[in-house]
Formats: sequence, C-alpha cells, structure tokens
Amino acid sequence: MEKMSRVTTALGGGVLTGRTMHCHLDAPANAISVCRDAAQVVVAGRSIFKIYAIEEEQFVEKLNLRVGRKPSLNLSCADVVWHQMDENLLATAATNGVVVTWNLGRPSRNKQDQLFTEHKRTVNKVCFHPTEAHVLLSGSQDGFMKCFDLRRKDSVSTFSGQSESVRDVQFSIRDYFTFASTFENGNVQLWDIRRPDRCERMFTAHNGPVFCCDWHPEDRGWLATGGRDKMVKVWDMTTHRAKEMHCVQTIASVARVKWRPECRHHLATCSMMVDHNIYVWDVRRPFVPAAMFEEHRDVTTGIAWRHPHDPSFLLSGSKDSSLCQHLFRDASQPVERANPEGLCYGLFGDLAFAAKESLVAAESGRKPYTGDRRHPIFFKRKLDPAEPFAGLASSALSVFETEPGGGAMRWFVDTAERYALAGRPLAELCDHNAKVARELGRDQVAQTWTMLRTIYCSPGLLPTANLSHSMGKGGSCGLQLMNSFNLKDMAPGLGSETRLDRSKGDARSDTVLLDSSATLITNEDNEETEGSDVPADYLLGDVEGEDDELYLLDPEHTHPEEPECVLPQEAFPLRHEIVDTPPGPEHLQDKADSPHVSGSEADVASLAPVDSSFSLLSVSHALYDSRLPPDFFSMLVRDMLHFYAEQGDVQMAVSVLIVLGERVRKDIDEQTQEHWYTSYIDLLQRFRLWNVSNEVVKLSTSRAVSCLNQASTTLHVNCSHCKRPMSSRGWVCDRCHRCASMCAVCHHVVKGLFVWCQGCSHGGHLQHIMKWLEGSSHCPAGCGHLCEYS
Amino acid sequence: WLACPFQKDTHDAQMDYYGTRLATCSSDRSVKIFDVRNGGQILIADLRGHEGPVWQVAWAHPMYGNILASCSYDRKVIIWREENGTWEKSHEHAGHDSSVNSVCWAPHDYGLILACGSSDGAISLLTYTGEGQWEVKKINNAHTIGCNAVSWAPAVVPGSLIDQPSGQKPNYIKKFASGGCDNLIKLWKEEEDGQWKEEQKLEAHSDWVRDVAWAPSIGLPTSTIASCSQDGRVFIWTCDDASGNTWSPKLLHKFNDVVWHVSWSITANILAVSGGDNKVTLWKESVDGQWVCISDVNKGQGSVSASVTEGQQNEQ
Repeated sequence: MEKMSRVTTALGGGVLTGRTMHCHLDAPANAISVCRDAAQVVVAGRSIFKIYAIEEEQFVEKLNLRVGRKPSLNLSCADVVWHQMDENLLATAATNGVVVTWNLGRPSRNKQDQLFTEHKRTVNKVCFHPTEAHVLLSGSQDGFMKCFDLRRKDSVSTFSGQSESVRDVQFSIRDYFTFASTFENGNVQLWDIRRPDRCERMFTAHNGPVFCCDWHPEDRGWLATGGRDKMVKVWDMTTHRAKEMHCVQTIASVARVKWRPECRHHLATCSMMVDHNIYVWDVRRPFVPAAMFEEHRDVTTGIAWRHPHDPSFLLSGSKDSSLCQHLFRDASQPVERANPEGLCYGLFGDLAFAAKESLVAAESGRKPYTGDRRHPIFFKRKLDPAEPFAGLASSALSVFETEPGGGAMRWFVDTAERYALAGRPLAELCDHNAKVARELGRDQVAQTWTMLRTIYCSPGLLPTANLSHSMGKGGSCGLQLMNSFNLKDMAPGLGSETRLDRSKGDARSDTVLLDSSATLITNEDNEETEGSDVPADYLLGDVEGEDDELYLLDPEHTHPEEPECVLPQEAFPLRHEIVDTPPGPEHLQDKADSPHVSGSEADVASLAPVDSSFSLLSVSHALYDSRLPPDFFSMLVRDMLHFYAEQGDVQMAVSVLIVLGERVRKDIDEQTQEHWYTSYIDLLQRFRLWNVSNEVVKLSTSRAVSCLNQASTTLHVNCSHCKRPMSSRGWVCDRCHRCASMCAVCHHVVKGLFVWCQGCSHGGHLQHIMKWLEGSSHCPAGCGHLCEYS
Repeated sequence: WLACPFQKDTHDAQMDYYGTRLATCSSDRSVKIFDVRNGGQILIADLRGHEGPVWQVAWAHPMYGNILASCSYDRKVIIWREENGTWEKSHEHAGHDSSVNSVCWAPHDYGLILACGSSDGAISLLTYTGEGQWEVKKINNAHTIGCNAVSWAPAVVPGSLIDQPSGQKPNYIKKFASGGCDNLIKLWKEEEDGQWKEEQKLEAHSDWVRDVAWAPSIGLPTSTIASCSQDGRVFIWTCDDASGNTWSPKLLHKFNDVVWHVSWSITANILAVSGGDNKVTLWKESVDGQWVCISDVNKGQGSVSASVTEGQQNEQ
C-alpha cells in the first residue's frame, strides 16, 4: 500500500512552481479537491462544479461538470473528492443525500457515472479508499455511513453511528480496513470496514460537534480532529485508548483540518464562521498560529495541500466565490509578531519581567557586575520556587527587586511617614527632618535640611554647639561661618570635583549637577569619595573675609546655565537693607515681599536711587553687622527645589515648600507648586499613605490643592427626632422643627464635635459625654440604654 | 509531551496601583492575578474568557474599584472586575478585526477610558458611561498594518486648577501616544467635539515600533515619551514647549536585537528597557542630558557605573 502511495507522488513529478494567486468563481464553493497530478483542482458548491487547471500565473477553467438544462439537486454539492489513484474518478456528496461518481474519461459531455440514492439526508462527506480503487465511503446527516463498491449498483455495507449525524469520514492510511468517523455529539468512532455491526472504538473527542478529522500522512496512528469547541486535538490511535497528544486552541470553530505535507507538526485549519482566515499551526505551539493566510473575504470552506509532498502550496475555496493558491512564504506569521516578553515597573521599584525561561536562566546565571565591587548583584531574584510558573519549560515570570539604582521606593514611604512638616518651630522641623533623612541614609537630603535651617533660622536662637552636633562630620558650619563663607574658594573646589567625577566616569547626576543651589549642598558622594578635604572647601571660609569680593564675584560663580537675572534679583532685598536696617528676619521678609510681587519697576521706584556698586558695598557692611537676609538665598532654594523635583524627588520639593512656607513660596510660580503638590499627593496615595497625604493637602497653601480635602466627603445627617434626612444645612430639622443635635447633658445645640451612642443615638458634646460616663454608664438622655462608646 | 516547550508563554505582567498585586497573561488564554505582598506570589484568580493568547493586561485606577483589562489575539478586549472577592468578566469588547495588541487606561482624572490598539490598524477608545455601558470610539487606520502599543499622557490641566470654576470638572486635554507597524509613533488628541485627531507623527524608527511609554509627570511639566522598536533602538522624545508641537528625539541606545518594552519608574527618572536578548537594563538621564545605563556594565557603556542614590544603605 505504501508503495502505491509513493507512486502517486512520483507521478506528481518535478518541482511545483507558482505564486499566490486567486480566481473568481461564479458561485460560492463548498469544497475543493486536488487531482493527484497537482495540476488540477475541482471546486464544488451548491451551484458550481468545475475543474480548474493550476498554471504558473493563474487558474484556468478546464471543465464545467454541471451540464444539462435543468439544475438537479444531485448537483448541489456538499463535498467533493478526487481519487488519488485514478485521475478520472471523482465523487461528490449532494445536499439531497445522493452520492454521485464522475468519470472524466467518458466521451460525452455528461461525465456522471453512478448515482447512489441511499442516504436520506445531506451527505456531509465522501472519501475514497487510499489504495483500493473501487471503494468509496460516505457519511451523512442521517447518522449512517455507507461503503460503496463502485463496481456495484448499491452500497456494500452500512454503518450506524447510533448518533445524529456524521460530519466526517476518513480512511486510515495506516490500516487497510480502518476508518474514522466524527459526529455531531462530540464523538469519534473507529470502524473496521468488515464489521458493520459495531464500531471498534469510540471516544469523546470534543465538546460539541466534531466537524473534521485528518490522519497524519507519516505518523499514521495520529488523527487530528477539529470541533466547534474551537480546538484541534491530535490523538495517538495506536495505543489501547486514544491518547490526546496535542491540543491547539484556535479562535473560531474548526471546519477543516489538513496535515501539512513534510512538516510533521504542522496542520492547516479553517473556520466555519466568523473567521475567514486559514491558519497553519505547529501543534507544539498551541496558541499562536505559525502562519496565517488572509486572502479570503468570507468563510473558507475547503482547503487542500496542492501536492502530498510539497509543504508550500495550499489551495482553498471560499464562500466569497474565489479559489486561491497560497504560498507559504507569503503567509503572515503571527508568531513573529507575538511579543515574547513582559516588563513592568512596580510601585516599590521592583520589576516584573516575564520572558522565555531559557534566557532568563542564562541571565541569572551570568555574573553581570563582576567589575563593580559595590554592586555585586543588581537583581535579586525573588522567585518563589513554589510559584506556578516554575514548572514551565519555556516561559518564566520573575519579580526582581532593584537594589541600588534608586528604583526602590522604601525610602519614600519611610520619609513620608516620619517627616515633620508643621507644628513646631522651623529649626526643629529642619533638624527633625535632617535626622530622619540621615537615618535613612539620605545624606544629601539631610544636608539640605541642615542648610535650610541654617539659612532661615536666626543664629541668635541657636547655640553653635548644637548646630555642629546636629550636622555630623562634614557639616559643622556654624552660622557665622555660613554668612561669610567664601564662594570663591568653594567654586573651584566644586569644579574640580565635578571634573574628577567625570573623569572617573561616575555618572553621578547628584554630583554633577552642581548649579548654584547645589553649591549649598554637601553631597554625600563627595563626602564618601573625596574624603575630608571637601568639607574644608565648603566650610572653612574666612570669617573676616572680604565681603565685597563675595558679592562682586558672585555672578561669576553662578552656574553658566543659570539665567542672567540672578544678580539683580538678589539685589532687591539687599537694597532694602540700606533703606531700613533689618530688625529681624521675619519682619524683613515681609517687607521684601511686596517688591517681589509687584515687580521690579515698583521696587526700584520705591527705593532711593543708589548706585549699584555702592549699594553692594554698603550691603556688605550690613551683612557683616548681622547676617544675610533670608531672601538672599531664595533663588538658591528655589533652584534646589527644582533640582529635587527634576530628580524625581518631588517629596523633598513639597516638604521643603511646606516647611518653609511663605519664605519660598513667592519665588516659585503657582502652577509649578500645584503640580508638585498633586504629584506628591498622588504618589502618597499610591503608597496608601492616606494620613500623610491628608496632612499635605491640609498644609498646602495652594487653593486648588487644599480644596481636594473637601471635594469628595459628604456626610448625610438624619434628624435625631423624626429620623428623616436633614434637608437644609441648619441645626433645625425642617420636618419636626426641632433642633437636631442636642447635647443630652447640657441640652444645647452641639456645634462641632458631636458624639453619640450608636445604640440609642443619644449623645452630645464630647466633653460632656465623657464626663457623664465617668459617673454613669446609662444614657444621659434617660432612655435607659447602657451606652457604649468606642 | 505535556511539558511541551512552547506552552504558556507569559506575554505581560503588570502590577497594580498599590504594587500589591501582579496580573499576568499568557498564550494559554489565561489571565492570572497574584498577590505579591511581602515578597510572596499567591495566585488569587485565574481568569478565563479569552479564546486566544492574551497579549497585555492593564489595571485601572483603584478609585473605580478593582478593574483589569486584557486584550488578546482573539480580537477581544475583556474588562474584568472584582466584586466581593471574586473576579468576573464585566464587559467584552469585540470591535476589532484582528488581534488586539495593547490596552492602556487613561489617567483616572478622565474617568474610566481604555485605549486599545489592534493589528487591524485601528485604535478604539472605550469610555464607561455608567450602569455597565461602554461607549466606543474608533480611530480607523491609525497605523497601517497594525498598532502595537498605546500609552496615555499624564493628566495635565491647561493653566492652573485655580482658574477652573469650582465644582466643574477641569477641562483636561486628553492625549495618548501609539506605536505601530508603520514605524511611526503618533500622538492623538481629543478635540472639543470629542473626536480624536492625530496631532503629531514622530518619525525616527526604521522598523516596527514595539512599545511606547509616556513618562509620568512628576516634578517638571516637560513631556517625555520613550519608544522602542524592532530596529533595536530606543528613543526618548521630549517636548518642552507648552503647545506640545515640537518633539525632539534622543537616541538612548542602539541594541543588537529587538527591543520589546520600555517602562518608566513611577518617579519617571528611570527607564527599564527589555530587549530581544531578554536582558533588562535600567537607564537614567545624567545631568548633561545623556542617558546612561545604571544596571548593566557589560552593555557597551564602558566606564559607566551605577549611580548610587540615596536609600542605598537602607536597602542593603
């Protein structure tokens, strides 16, 4: 038998050539079948029955088998099959239950050969025996399968499936006597052609109708079945019980299935409805098709590989009245489009990464950071071995914890929870926050807080000892030092650090971005890497220093990226000092407020016209006498806040904004502030820091932000007497005209905190009730209830 | 055979707003939700409903409840909702003619709006109109051959919030970015009449754009978009002007393989990039505007080493 099938192949001969092409049919096709020479294809449908020659560039109609004047129902084909041994022999299954055979060798126009009218309903499928020239099998809607010997006038045997309808019948290629049939009820039966009394084997293959089946051309014990449950299953029929080998999940019901020649694991499917495409699946990759042909505009009804040993040509017929030849290399390949990886940044800076496991394994096996001693491992695998993905061969999900890179957000939560933003003097707040930051290892932030304290708090209030204590090793800058620290000394020092850092290739954004605000910040990196000489640069300015120089040189020190306006703006408050000697920072600042807001012109007008150089000089005297006005630093603080915000640390920006309040607010435009606030609040809420978020909302000075608190909370109140909802806002209920919330103790209306027992709903002023409950646990209203307050 | 090598490719993993749950989706049609608190991974739900590989999942903002959207090769988008501890399908959108590749929820300020990009080239926008109803707007032919990714711009209000009459919803300008098989990134903006219009076309990639990610707007109001492509390149697009019309690309890096994903950290200062070599690298912008890899020293960046930021000691 095998020999014979090979002979068939050899007859096909040579190499097939062709291209993706299609031709229009006159009517929708129901089925197609290819001649064994691979050069002709027959198309059958309700009103079409034609043979086309497959040429290099096109389909050419060769023969119309629908002849005769009046159309017969016998010609309304549900299926067609071309004999794989005899080029002249075809069989069709008609919708009226007739099985017709056709002999192309007949000399007359009418090629009809035999007519079997044995089935009572539509015949769904006809199938020739692969090696026996005269044996034809049919399966019908009436639930019977019949075997015909073409040399006889009627059927040889009838097989009853004991079920509604037969959807497909296929002779086994491996076993001469065996055929498989599939049923509407989900069953697959295996029959021995010699035993019509009962089937050899039956099993349920699908949930719902099994529309098609196909024996594997090489692994001959394999049977592929396709069903309305949108699955294609591959069964090993050689074992005692049919064993499911593969299951392909398609996206629509499977109407036809055909193994792809020469490709052991490939099969082609098309759908009965909805989906018009033809898919080729690798059964080992059951979810994404290996190839997809999208030519048809309506349901594909018939598919056939052009040659049993050529995997690249597929023919198809469709309800859209077209016949197509598809070239495999022209197919779109969804697998290629599929994204094999998933990546997501988590809230706490951890990273979820899903990818093919082999590659992940390679990744974790690698030692990525051998060159960098400080970061021995960057990704810490947190994968739990009990996790369900562990058993998979190809894909794995890992959750990585990012460690240094700044991704981890634990510090954010800790900082948010521990910062003090209000309720204490500025100095204490700064100290507290600096301490918090330091304890969390955020030295730069800690230093910033210390600096802020130094800048904005009057030195008289602060003993220097305290200061140096709080500032740790590098930050022992007393205020008097601060006042006169020499920018000139500082700038080159910083510059060299920057260069140093760069030359070392350290991409430390924190260090490198030393704008004028950053000069006030002792960077933690500097402390760590540069050692003790850096603090010296910062702090040991000349106490007696040339103050003039300080100012005259200032413009040079401003960062090149800084706007030119730095000097004039700083000059405003300074000029003020000339006009009225500063009584204290607070007062001075209030004064300074107005010109800033009203704009420079007004400012200038209000001032005595002074020569600028002269003013600088005189200012420096004032400075020497007392201290720099806080406004002197406002630009720097502003830049500092922007710097932090830009770094993604909007927390710092907002915290400083709140703590410093009026002192800096005017320098930052409203919109930016608002943006910071909303960003920070949003972040806090993501981390479920409701309390902190609420505090920030409350403390915020931006109107738009603080109204957030009042936006969504609604309290519905019922009258305590008539128990109906209070409609108006007053204290008196509209319906019973009594005051709603009376204190049960003092019998006055409670305005403010009202506490009540949930049992009897009596209550009153918090303090009155508390006092009452010290003496008695009964309700003060005299209702007899034993009140409980939680 | 059961452990056949291609089963269950995981295509996407997304953490929820609070970082406590992880949703994954895979080729086996399943969407799974894990509890990842305290370092554990406990399966909470296995959502079945798709009929093809599920490409992407997206969490909605928790103010709307626990809502997850998933999109699949089966041309459907399913919106799942947790109610009393059980997850159920709440809506199914079947308005696409081909695989739906990407879903992304709009910023919560706009209400529940989901953008879906599909291989049929269209982008559809589902807006929740209450009582289980979803309104669908479709941008046909947004990307020829197909759309691979969508990402919303963060909610930015034109002008200050203060200018808005109190009680009235501020007038947001809704925008999102999409990347497609036409090698383009397109920016879409909702017009006054509620129609979506192409606002910008960003051209730099020479092959399919695989992912776009609009950076969260924390800190400065500069708009930033990261995009990655089949051509191995990752671009950072920035727009400084208020009108939002001039975008300038900056090449982050040219990888040797396809780059599949880009993802911003929540503070928008670190970008995670995953490529065809299945490596994840983290990138940070240095002061001079150069993007440097802070996680992988072997990646051709020579002397670059990880930048130590605050919190390190705390973490170790």
